[in-house]
Amino acid sequence: MNFIFTEEQIQFKDAIKSFLAEECAPASIRDGWQKNKSFNLERWKNLIELGVLSSNLPEKKGGLGMDQVTLALMVEEMGYAGLPEPVAEQIFLVNDVIPFLPKNVTEAVESNFNDGTQYIALAHPLAPNPLFLNDAAGLILLDNSECKFIAKNDMDFEIISSNDPSRELFKVSSMNDAISTSKNFDELNSAVSSRGSLMTAALLIGLAQKMVDLSSIYVLDRTQFGKPIGSFQAVKHMLADVAVKIEFAKPAVYRAAYSLSENNPKSALHCAHAKLMCAQAAELACKNSIQAHGAMGYTWEMDLHIYMRKAWSMMACWGNEDKQLELIFKTLSSTSEELGVLYTF
Amino acid sequence: MVTWPKEYGGRGLDLIQWLIFEEEYYRAEAPTRVNQNGVFLLGPTLMEFGTHEQKSKFLNAMATGDHIWAQGWSEPGAGSDMAAIRTTAVLEDDHYKINGQKTWSSRAAYADWTFGLFRTDLDSERHRGLSFILVPLNLPGITVRPIPQLDGEPGFAEIYFDDVKVPVENLLGGDGEGWKIAMATAGFERGLMLRSPARFQQTASKLLELYLANQDHCSPMIQAKVVEAWSQSESYALSIYHTASKMLAGGSIGSESSLGKIFWSELDHMMHQTALKILGASAELSQESKNDAAKWIKGFMFSYAGPIYAGTNEIQKNIIAERLLGLPR
Ligand SMILES: Cc1cc2nc3c(=O)[nH]c(=O)nc-3n(C[C@H](O)[C@H](O)[C@H](O)COP(=O)(O)OP(=O)(O)OC[C@H]3O[C@@H](n4cnc5c(N)ncnc54)[C@H](O)[C@@H]3O)c2cc1C
Repeated sequence: MNFIFTEEQIQFKDAIKSFLAEECAPASIRDGWQKNKSFNLERWKNLIELGVLSSNLPEKKGGLGMDQVTLALMVEEMGYAGLPEPVAEQIFLVNDVIPFLPKNVTEAVESNFNDGTQYIALAHPLAPNPLFLNDAAGLILLDNSECKFIAKNDMDFEIISSNDPSRELFKVSSMNDAISTSKNFDELNSAVSSRGSLMTAALLIGLAQKMVDLSSIYVLDRTQFGKPIGSFQAVKHMLADVAVKIEFAKPAVYRAAYSLSENNPKSALHCAHAKLMCAQAAELACKNSIQAHGAMGYTWEMDLHIYMRKAWSMMACWGNEDKQLELIFKTLSSTSEELGVLYTF
Repeated sequence: MVTWPKEYGGRGLDLIQWLIFEEEYYRAEAPTRVNQNGVFLLGPTLMEFGTHEQKSKFLNAMATGDHIWAQGWSEPGAGSDMAAIRTTAVLEDDHYKINGQKTWSSRAAYADWTFGLFRTDLDSERHRGLSFILVPLNLPGITVRPIPQLDGEPGFAEIYFDDVKVPVENLLGGDGEGWKIAMATAGFERGLMLRSPARFQQTASKLLELYLANQDHCSPMIQAKVVEAWSQSESYALSIYHTASKMLAGGSIGSESSLGKIFWSELDHMMHQTALKILGASAELSQESKNDAAKWIKGFMFSYAGPIYAGTNEIQKNIIAERLLGLPR
């Protein structure tokens, strides 16, 4: 058994990290806010060029056939950078669920997205307001035991504002024409929910890490009582507490991703576990990071809130802590003999 | 000894295989290992820093249980501040003469040997001038006074040294190198060795069982804690598997072990606290009763020690902030 990443996995992670450090700096995110246009088409195209958007499509469809562990590592970096474009969504919620979509929906999706590079939005009761519908070719809608695909021209929608200005949310007000089926819905629904949990978990862990890093820099710089505030133990311990939470949330993400890649029957449980741990880590990261910044943390000017807002949204959608606790409990109480000390894998 | 080389009485297996062994050990509810200070702490330290003679003398006897070991770092004036150690070991011809006092030494009440740090350079201060010495507890001049713990048992003891003569061969590593070696030992204690994940996964399973048998009179708050117990013990296990793989691939663990130490000790306490809440009014029964109340209470009391021993959690947080997050001392 081996529980470390391959060199290739680390390379992909590093590549996207350095790309985003360049192309997705806080100033560029704020620029999107200013213009009410957070979907930056240029950045999106560059990410397509890097192969990120088709990374997990099969090779015969022009992709790299990338496994979920590598995807999770990359998505973590998207969280770290606070990337506004719905790259993680496209990878996990569209590309990765194609094998579960009913045939007629797959055909409609594929005819609307060439090589997986055209954005397709998705809505689900756990994330009911689709992202960036304006920039999408169409919408996959999962609700009431039905899976629908609606091309952009076949619906009317309106924008709803999110507390995270990087997230342009929409509401479909009417649809004229939709492909619809209830075939295999439960399987599809569970595949999508699991990936939603895993995706938000990976984003949250990146966001939490970003908040700790920003705070560590700030407390080294800010002086009170003639010393950097980072030398005060109360401040140190707040940030150390977050570091502990992050450390033990991360492996849950990688296990959940691995579990999906192996079609492990317990993958839904593992994804819920990942989301629970990451949401709790991010929640503490928000609380303690603001606190470590003092009043500066409470301003619009400080970049901290770019990441905090995204974290709040990621905690809320695709199953919040309460939902995950419930799912885990249901699984534990029905199959307890196969969980626990001998069944980590 | 699963991971020890065969020549010293081990099995020569790797860390992952050790984790698997531990899973079986805890699932079988096998007893606490009386020689864990030796096997898990001194053993790996000897393998790294010991001479050939020291290894052959001590490792096999440790493996067979012929030598039971205690560890002697703490002193009345040196707890969290271990560098304040004052017990002296003065080199005279072929032996060190030791004077002073150690305390809180687990298992010293019945151990045969202790290993510890002693000040060999009397003019030195703090971390310098300390040496790592192995001391038989039956030497003239040694008095061991057991200290009853919270559960009433003499789990740790004070050790008094009055002109105790220890042969120089019992020095581990070089004279004055004690701090460096002790840090390696402490790393084993916080990190993998003493706290294999199986222990917490097993407690989490038992807690789930306890909850399911009693859920009719529990509130949803308890249910959430039970789920967290499972989740955190899973996470701890996953993290340790990852660390073990890293070490197998040639990596090492450093200050990261402080993250784990906080995590497992807080988890252990939370799980026992939750168990006691499920037990309701029977959470004070120290005799055998339904739901194993007495066992949970014992574990509950012991879980208060986790955040203290092996370096308190506050000290670990200082280490995390300074060494992992780069904050100033
Ligand atoms: C069950 C048990 C078994 C033990 N076994 C052994 C053993 O086998 N061998 C051995 O040598 N020792 C052993 N110890 C002792 C243990 O290592 C010490 O208790 C520990 O290092 C703390 O020292 P102290 O008890 O003197 O507490 P103190 O150092 O007095 O600390 C008291 C409180 O002050 C806090 N504090 C102190 N300094 C700081 C600081 N700089 N920053 C923030 N907070 C601080 C601590 O975190 C703690 O909360 C054992 C202890 C227990 C409980």
